[in-house]
Amino acid sequence: MSDKENTPRPGLLRRLWRAFWSPSGVLSTGFLLIAGFICGILFWGGFHWSLELTNTEEFCTSCHTMETNLGEYRETVHYNNHSGVRAICSDCHVPHEWQYKMKAKIMAVKDVYHEVLGTISTPEKYEERRLEMAAAVWKKMKASDSRECRNCHAFEYMDFTIQETRAADNHQRAIDEGMTCIDCHQGIAHDLPPGYLEEYEHVVEELAGEVRYRGEEDLAGIRSYLGTAAD
Amino acid sequence: MLNILDLLGTIGGSILGLPGILGTGLGMMTRNWFVAAGLGGLIGLLSPMVLGGSHSTHVPITLTEYAVSISVGIIAGLLGCAIRHKGATV
Repeated sequence: MSDKENTPRPGLLRRLWRAFWSPSGVLSTGFLLIAGFICGILFWGGFHWSLELTNTEEFCTSCHTMETNLGEYRETVHYNNHSGVRAICSDCHVPHEWQYKMKAKIMAVKDVYHEVLGTISTPEKYEERRLEMAAAVWKKMKASDSRECRNCHAFEYMDFTIQETRAADNHQRAIDEGMTCIDCHQGIAHDLPPGYLEEYEHVVEELAGEVRYRGEEDLAGIRSYLGTAAD
Repeated sequence: MLNILDLLGTIGGSILGLPGILGTGLGMMTRNWFVAAGLGGLIGLLSPMVLGGSHSTHVPITLTEYAVSISVGIIAGLLGCAIRHKGATV
């Protein structure tokens, strides 16, 4: 009897592993390349398609805990307006740039975790956490220079002559002082919690301590504006 | 907690982005571990420069982003090289 016959047959996983790394005796290099290319396109297309599905309003609001946000958002100009142009959840909360989009998607795992835990499952719990959740979003927006707002809004293309005087004045001041959208436009899509101005000031100070991302950044200017707005 | 998630997100974004994918691809082109790591690291360095930031804002890429991108690029290059060693005779 030969040694080969005495050797026990390897398990399924080991056989699959060996087959995976063995050279193909029946398929040409061209066939493997073309098949690999087509499989690559299918896989990547499927991945991207699935990712885009998670960007829809239906997906975002399918969790019970998102009902409060949705209700508040439906009262705002970003949901309903004279032109019919809308910004859905992902337009404000998911970056367009690939690496930042992936980062946002990975970080969004915490939303599923807290949905399962029921961290904000009742109106009381939601209100208790509202300031904390808002501050987390403000921090992200401030740190990215309101990147997601700027996908649609740009100072460069604002016609100040057709804006309200107050808006035109403040936008020009924002340009001069290097401010960013979220410095003034907190609560643009969701209700503001009590003490939000102090919390926003805290976010600005915290970020100013971590990173100075623009030379012309004027913390005092933002502080003075926040002070004015509070009055 | 958010900082850990932030770091995990940055790592995940790099793995699914240019440093991870092109790093592995370039690593598969050589049997030399150092060349593979170097090519992966180079992609990791170039990736934030080319694709980092955004078209509409002026936020510089942070040191963490560079560090994560280069590290992921090097690991991806080495992984690609390991695939070459295991799966090819040339």
